[in-house]
Amino acid sequence: MMMRISDLKTHFPTPDGIVRAVDTIDLSIRDTETFGLIGETGCGKTVLGLTIMRLLHPATTVEGEIIYKGQNLLEASEAEMRTIRGREIAIILQNPTTSLNPVMKVGEQIAEAIRLHQGLNKKDAAAKAVEMLDAVRIPSPSQRANEYPHEFSGGMKQRVMIAMGLACNPSFIIADEPTKGLDVTIKAQIVELMREMTERKAMLLITHDLSVARELCDRIALMYAGELVEYAPLKGIFESPLHPYTRGFLGSLPERGLVPIPGMSPSLIDFPDGCRFHPRCEHATEVCRREHPELVEFNAGHFVRCHHARS
Amino acid sequence: MTGVTVKDVLGSLGLGILVILVAVSIFAPQIAPYDPHDTYKPMEHPSSEHLLGTNDVGNDILSEVIYGTRVSLFIAFTVSITAIVIGTALGLIAGYSGGVLGFLIMRIVDIFLTIPRLVLIIVIAAFMPRSIWTIIVVFIIFGWVMTARIVRSEVLTLRSQYYVESARMLGGSDLYILWRHILPNVIPLVVVQFIMEASHVIIAEAGLSFLGLGDPVARSWGTTFHYAFECPNIITSDVWMWWMLPPGLCIVATVLGFTFVGYALEERLNPKLKTVVGMGV
Amino acid sequence: MHYISKLTYYLVIILIILSINFFLPRAMPGDPLAYVLGENPDMPTRMTEEEREMRLAEYGLDKPLLEQYLNYMVGLSRGDLGCSIYYNTPVMDEILVRLKWTLLLTGTSTVIYMLLGIFLGAESAWARGKKKDTGSLITILTVSSFPTFFLGTLLAIFFAANLDLFPLGGARIIGASYANPFEKALDILHHLVLPAATLIIAHIGGTYLLMRNSMLSVLGADYILSARAKGLSERYIMNRHAIKNALLPVVTMAALTVQFMIIGTIFVEKVFAYPGVGNLLYDSVLRRDYPLLQGIFLFIAISVVIANFIADMTYLWLDPRVRDE
Ligand SMILES: Nc1ncnc2c1ncn2[C@@H]1O[C@H](COP(=O)(O)OP(=O)(O)O)[C@@H](O)[C@H]1O
Ligand code: SF4
Ligand SMILES: [Mg+2]
Repeated sequence: MMMRISDLKTHFPTPDGIVRAVDTIDLSIRDTETFGLIGETGCGKTVLGLTIMRLLHPATTVEGEIIYKGQNLLEASEAEMRTIRGREIAIILQNPTTSLNPVMKVGEQIAEAIRLHQGLNKKDAAAKAVEMLDAVRIPSPSQRANEYPHEFSGGMKQRVMIAMGLACNPSFIIADEPTKGLDVTIKAQIVELMREMTERKAMLLITHDLSVARELCDRIALMYAGELVEYAPLKGIFESPLHPYTRGFLGSLPERGLVPIPGMSPSLIDFPDGCRFHPRCEHATEVCRREHPELVEFNAGHFVRCHHARS
Repeated sequence: MTGVTVKDVLGSLGLGILVILVAVSIFAPQIAPYDPHDTYKPMEHPSSEHLLGTNDVGNDILSEVIYGTRVSLFIAFTVSITAIVIGTALGLIAGYSGGVLGFLIMRIVDIFLTIPRLVLIIVIAAFMPRSIWTIIVVFIIFGWVMTARIVRSEVLTLRSQYYVESARMLGGSDLYILWRHILPNVIPLVVVQFIMEASHVIIAEAGLSFLGLGDPVARSWGTTFHYAFECPNIITSDVWMWWMLPPGLCIVATVLGFTFVGYALEERLNPKLKTVVGMGV
Repeated sequence: MHYISKLTYYLVIILIILSINFFLPRAMPGDPLAYVLGENPDMPTRMTEEEREMRLAEYGLDKPLLEQYLNYMVGLSRGDLGCSIYYNTPVMDEILVRLKWTLLLTGTSTVIYMLLGIFLGAESAWARGKKKDTGSLITILTVSSFPTFFLGTLLAIFFAANLDLFPLGGARIIGASYANPFEKALDILHHLVLPAATLIIAHIGGTYLLMRNSMLSVLGADYILSARAKGLSERYIMNRHAIKNALLPVVTMAALTVQFMIIGTIFVEKVFAYPGVGNLLYDSVLRRDYPLLQGIFLFIAISVVIANFIADMTYLWLDPRVRDE
């Protein structure tokens, strides 16, 4: 087991109240699997990724356990975390355009991590950075390494982000919406690249794009309002979805008619009582409004959080 | 966290200072022990009769400083209100209509920002008769520039926002849209700008008067300081304590009042700096 | 491309400044001749008609405006700024003798207040909300509220008149003969401390606040998060990622702060009787020495334009995005 997350809660104190962005999450990720995390914008996916990396503001309250290779990351010191970030666990942040430093050459942005974690000198690290750019199929990499982010297209920037994340050969990768905003052809190329580069690694793939998840993931979890509502192997999700939210999400796939789920995702400050999905659920009954459903194993390896789960 | 309270404390402190100063300038005749133009024995040290002594021609310094509040604040408020109104109007025009007029306004703004304005003001004032109106006029000529620039860029942002677009599609006239949709959004910015301009004028007017360009009759704090400075050996004796320090500290207090209020307002208007949570350490 | 358009822009500005300078005395109420002669324009001396004509001709004021303008420009190109009324010497000479002192004072203060303001602003932002940040913020807002002349006077009173640590004024001991250049430098430095300190303290606020606010927004940027995600240390991130980005707005405004600084020099030189161009300006205001006053205005305005140009070039060098436009 590469990572086991239990009882994880991430809360932000704000002037308007406590934002419960992660509340509560349990999941585990195996050594070489790709685990998909799917959900609407604002449900807490990115916050989960940043919680694992311990990259949130110190005023944030985080509870629970994140066990990585036997160590609880939530108890690691800041110095220990710095040796883990980039070397053991890497995160490919969402939005490459703002995540790359506009006034630093792209090659250097990759090389600095290599120098830090692999102890290479300036020249060797720069050469390794060029190798990485080559590996993510950026044409004429040695020239591109000396360019600045604004000289790259959206797809190329995404490749740079991937090269940056994989530069120090981490064993666990968090990829946050790596295909967002790309057109279909480029998206297919990035998906292919991700598949290739992460073959022997564990990956938490955050996306709201089901077609990408279907290409890359071994297991998939659906997240709604800070918690998981269903998770199962790929086939289980696509062939026998149990949760109304999952079915709604599948209905928004292009081949199923792009039907959006009606209603809005709830505020993370005040959740609805009972099932958090009930205001938008067509199957909601009295018990749904009253009692918060537990995550239960419906079939072997197939978990769901719903009072009226059915195949 | 602490940031919030600091802002509030500074804001109220600043407001308090300004309220006191305005009160002093309104009630100057009641508060001041003497008419500032009456003459007594010159160069008196402080006594129960003249709490801050008298100056080289025998005016009561305390009364002069109290009346100086009137002069300094009158100049500051007259200039900043006029300059802000002109600046807002020109900024709205430049931002909303674009075109040749807008282009022209912005070029003038650029030029005015590049020319060292206080030096030009000094030169112009030296050509004109010494009076508070000279000072008011030259400051207004150069005072509208920053406001125009800020208002224009805000208007450009607002204009591209949907509600202005939709108001236009619904057939609102330009003037109506400016009045109903753009002006209300620009006003908070303009208020901060007013405060900044006022504090700027206080310092600049003091500087101009220090150079001897102030009104010799209606003496502002800067003018009082100028005459003190021109008096031989003032620094090496104790006289500076009652002749230089009071007008100097009054200038500082006023600027500080404006600065604190402006700072508090700006923090409030710029929520990005206000939120406690965020990424980072 | 950028360089050329910027250069043209600044040349136009300089032309405008020269023109303002030409039209100023002619557009003012009162008799332009009075300005050249240094009289109170409200009470010009009585002259016979003949005398007046003669004087006007002497200064070329009888010619058509366009011809006067051309003559003025030709004169300028030869470095002719007219004659000082008080000293009765060429304005250019009077300015040039004093220029080295002003350059020394302004140069030293500019370098120090920029670096110090940037450093303190960055430190303050890094410690945002903590005591250190709040402390420096309030201190700097407070000292920035002091007019330069008042601050300078106070420093002169305490450190020169009372404590006798530094000289009350001047740029060096008058008539001193030095044993070696080192001693001379030391004397000049000794005289420089208080005026420079005044300028630095009075002008550090703008740069400090700009750097602090800009740093605060940079620290919230995604690429800083990105750098943290690589495991880089906070110091490294500050030095290699944050500072350069945070400097951009500071550089944009640098010319403006330098402009304020140059203006502050006028007051500081007066307070410390420093024999520079600023002091000369003060005197020529009191003496209504208009040609000298205008010459100094030209000098200052053009140095400010040059400062703007340097700031623009620095920006181009710092920001690759603008460079490529
Ligand atoms: N630093 C923060 N302070 C307060 N609220 C935050 C912070 N970061 C994220 N949030 C809130 O947490 C929720 C989840 O955000 P996020 O994880 O970014 O969503 P997504 O699933 O789209 O990645 C959002 O409502 C967001 O506003
Ligand atoms: S628990 Fe009830 S409301 Fe919630 S998803 Fe299931 S059926 Fe819908
Ligand atoms: Mg996200």
